[in-house]
Amino acid sequence: MTLNYALFFILAAIAIASALGMLLSKNAVYSALFLILNFNVVAIFYVLLNAPFIALTQITVYAGAIMVLFLFVIMLLGAEQTGRISSARWVKPAAYSLGIILISEILYIIFAQTGVIPDAASIAAEFGSPVTVGKALFSRYLLPFEATSVLLIASMIGAIVLTKRKS
Amino acid sequence: MTTGSVWEWIIKSVVIVFGLLTGFAYLTLLERKVLAKIQVRIGPNRAGPMGLFQPLADAIKLIFKEEIIPSRADKIIFVLAPIITVIPALIILGVLPFGGIITLFGRQISLSLADLNVGVLYITAIASISIYGIVLAGWSSNNKYAMLGGIRSSAQMISYELALGLSFIGPILLSGSMSLHDIVAAQKPLWFVVYQPVGALIFWIATLAEVNRAPFDMPEAEQELTAGYHTEYSGMKFALFFMAEYIKMIAVSAIAATLFFGGYRFVLEDQYPILGPVWLLGKVIVLLFGMIWVRATLPRIRYDRLMAFGWKFLFPLALANVFFTAIGIVLEKLWLIPLLTIAVFLGAVVMVGISETRRWRSHVF
Amino acid sequence: MTQQLTTITETLVERFPGAVLKDERPGYEGYLVSAENLPEIAQFLRDQMGYDYLSSVTGVDYLPEGKMETVYHFFRSTGGSALELKVSLPRENPVVPSLVSIFPGAELQERETYDLLGIIFDGHPDLRRILLWDGFDGHPLRKDWQEPYYEEEAKPFKSRWPEGRAIRVEEKNIFKKNVKYPAGFDPETFTPEGDTSLFASLDKLKRHDEESGMKSDHIIINFGPQHTSTHGVFRMAAAVEGETIIGLKPAMGYLHRNHEKIAERNTYLMNMPYTDRLDYLSPLSNNFGYAIAVEKLMGIQPAERAEYLRVIMAEFTRISNHLFLIGSLLNDLGAYFTPMLYALEERELILDVFEAVTGSRMMCNYFRFGGVARDLPEGQLQKIKDLAFDRLPRKIDEMDRFLTESEIIRARGVGVGVLTPEEAIAYSTCGPVLRASGVPYDVRRADPYSIYERFDFDVAVRYHGDVYDRFLLRFDEIRQSIRIIQQAVRDMPEGPVQSGKPQYQAKVPAGEAYGRVEGPKGELGYYVVSNGKPNPWRYHVRAPSFINLTALEKLCVGNKVADVFAILGSIDIVLGETDR
Repeated sequence: MTLNYALFFILAAIAIASALGMLLSKNAVYSALFLILNFNVVAIFYVLLNAPFIALTQITVYAGAIMVLFLFVIMLLGAEQTGRISSARWVKPAAYSLGIILISEILYIIFAQTGVIPDAASIAAEFGSPVTVGKALFSRYLLPFEATSVLLIASMIGAIVLTKRKS
Repeated sequence: MTTGSVWEWIIKSVVIVFGLLTGFAYLTLLERKVLAKIQVRIGPNRAGPMGLFQPLADAIKLIFKEEIIPSRADKIIFVLAPIITVIPALIILGVLPFGGIITLFGRQISLSLADLNVGVLYITAIASISIYGIVLAGWSSNNKYAMLGGIRSSAQMISYELALGLSFIGPILLSGSMSLHDIVAAQKPLWFVVYQPVGALIFWIATLAEVNRAPFDMPEAEQELTAGYHTEYSGMKFALFFMAEYIKMIAVSAIAATLFFGGYRFVLEDQYPILGPVWLLGKVIVLLFGMIWVRATLPRIRYDRLMAFGWKFLFPLALANVFFTAIGIVLEKLWLIPLLTIAVFLGAVVMVGISETRRWRSHVF
Repeated sequence: MTQQLTTITETLVERFPGAVLKDERPGYEGYLVSAENLPEIAQFLRDQMGYDYLSSVTGVDYLPEGKMETVYHFFRSTGGSALELKVSLPRENPVVPSLVSIFPGAELQERETYDLLGIIFDGHPDLRRILLWDGFDGHPLRKDWQEPYYEEEAKPFKSRWPEGRAIRVEEKNIFKKNVKYPAGFDPETFTPEGDTSLFASLDKLKRHDEESGMKSDHIIINFGPQHTSTHGVFRMAAAVEGETIIGLKPAMGYLHRNHEKIAERNTYLMNMPYTDRLDYLSPLSNNFGYAIAVEKLMGIQPAERAEYLRVIMAEFTRISNHLFLIGSLLNDLGAYFTPMLYALEERELILDVFEAVTGSRMMCNYFRFGGVARDLPEGQLQKIKDLAFDRLPRKIDEMDRFLTESEIIRARGVGVGVLTPEEAIAYSTCGPVLRASGVPYDVRRADPYSIYERFDFDVAVRYHGDVYDRFLLRFDEIRQSIRIIQQAVRDMPEGPVQSGKPQYQAKVPAGEAYGRVEGPKGELGYYVVSNGKPNPWRYHVRAPSFINLTALEKLCVGNKVADVFAILGSIDIVLGETDR
């Protein structure tokens, strides 16, 4: 298992570095690229957890589809340079407090739990397989699943209506 | 995991990568020869017998060409983009079975790199990230043609990925597995193209768009955007884009052969498993020939019509295909699938034809 | 005809007393009008008298008389001969009202006249240099303009032959010393204003934003000068919104060599090979127009057999040009060279005929004043017959079958780049562009020249005015050309191919003439003014490629980026002719 641990820590370092890079880089395109790298590293985590289905879904959906659209928008707007954005006064304190809450949650999980990294062997082989996910989506979570798709369609139509010329 | 199997992996990976690189080189020659024959020309015949060393000469030329980086380009991404483009093309075939199990030096060797139980998903995932190279190349060149080419390609590939993904579902449903090995095994009695004629067609059209081949070669439409996203590239960096395009052609042909045309299986393969890769290669060449033929024959579709075709025709058709496939499987009457899907396909074609013809001649003054 | 002309004179003189004078100079025709009355008269001609087609606008510098003239050739789109108007202007401050508001087709031609002669067209919407670069000093077609290292007014230059020995011009004009700049000009610090003014002329599009209330950026894309689909060194600056063209300006002159100035130095016969270089895809049609213009001045008739040879060669030129166009248009649509190479295969056979008959495949230099250079060589007639009666009809049908029903070509062509008949006439478009818009105007029928009256052929017309119709029209025209060749081959008499004695130095009496032919790209006109010397005083080419581009913006706006090249391809330009 040492191999797995070593791999985990290397990947974790990359993940954190890429997340920081995304936050700190001045160029929006670079930020997006760091985020994509982050997504891919997270996908490898899933593979380490014996969940290739979730890993590949992560890559297809987040890295493959959503981030391409992000890049698309950044490039179309020519908004590569993220300058000083004058935001509302409440944004900064809100961001700080939310960040503090998040960090305390993470600390709680780390110290309250035992056995930080679950052993890959201890996870059932069925975990995260297409069959399990499919069954869960179409039986227990059918309503939320359908509700989400309706929401997505509504937002899509909204975008089309907004951009459509009156002519 | 023994040392032996690690070595086996490494050797197989190297063989696949070198196979693809050689395949790329000779695919360019094949394309030029076939195009020439179709166009009443001779084609390359100077370098070596029948021009067989032409790819070598091309490679030498490209290596020694000057590498130009535009002064106002984003240098890091400009250099990274061709690499990002090539890697997905090289690794996409990692889950593809090239043959059964052969015995070599007393060792049982499976002629495939990995048998992922979600192999099909792996292919879609890799295909979806292969857009980045093109988009980034377009953006980092700081050139309007390249930019438009990059934007076009991202929009195009996202649109056609939907139809592509849906056409995967037919074979998945029929074989009940997402592993390419199982899909090939399930085609032992009959190739899936028989059950999935429309699915195979959708797959093929969508892959033409996915690998930016004519008549969907929008991103690099030379008549409009000079060379599209790789306008500013030269030398080996340009060659990498070129390489990625052709390797992707080989890869999608191999995937098409695996999903719909029985993969490596053909006559005598059971007795002599070594024939598997040969049959697969044969099928790939036939499919590649089809791609080249299309390029020599058809003009380019306009960009907005390409998008309309993808969203308004191909995507609904792929949905219908999935729907009727599922019906056939539930009713356990597989012969219904081709009948129903072909009927729907023809109906759609006739409808589009009628509406188009009406539009064509609507204005007379 | 005389009757008709008298009535025109009467009507004009009656309507504009004192403003219209008949041009009484020997060898001249048309009317002299005063500058301030010109727009009024042009409007009257267009609305009341049916002269709705402004074919040619140019100018002449009469240095000895100390004046300049602008020259306008009007035609009726129903056919007939020219009505010529001239406006006499002082050389110092030549200002004439612009006709663009009445005839939009004058836009590029007036810019050209301004550029080369310095005549200012008052009220022109976008009066900039067009062929020359913006740092250029002076207006070269003025007779007192002299280039750096000017030698003599007219060729042959005696200075090149002192004591019977040739001196190469390179020895006299040392490299890097052979350029001259305007006073105070430094090439190192010069920043061209051309782009600024070009983009400024696109800037009017900003209004579009304010109307819709949405703020959006337009990208201005330069297509060319180095671009695969501009058919040469041609440039278009297009403002695009997404992929839709909202404005487009052509910029040309990259291949400009002032054909007209050079030709005014040459003797008449020396210009014949030089016309080959205009539209280098159809050299024999270029020869034809020039020969007709000079023969009009000289008042001679070409030999009978030569007339047939001229027609055969000109029609073969049309076929080869249209074949090339069909191929390259399909290339512009993204068909990867296959139609092109099939078309070129046939074109090669025609070029073989040219080579055998004229001695050259492309720069043919075949026509002479009063005939053609030489008769058909042995056995060539049979080759021509094989082509005209068997091979070409068969191959054209085959191509037609393969191409015209293609879904993609239809989808790319139908309804794209539409020009209505009224617009087509107003923009002075000519040739296939005009006829595809439903105007059956073909100089061979509308104002017959040479022996076209004797042949039975139809004027090809299509009625939708889009890219697809312009494409189909080329097939129709090829078929008609084949018909003409078939009849000409059948009827061709024996006899000499040159009337009179072949002469190196044509004796051309003073006067002016406008000779026009229906070239493959449209009406190709030559306006030649002679003062009785061995060299033409003024030589102007009415270039169809150039004038058809006037309508380019109109055709492109509202279409997609990809359509621009389909439209440009369907207009059919050759930069050798556009830039001259």
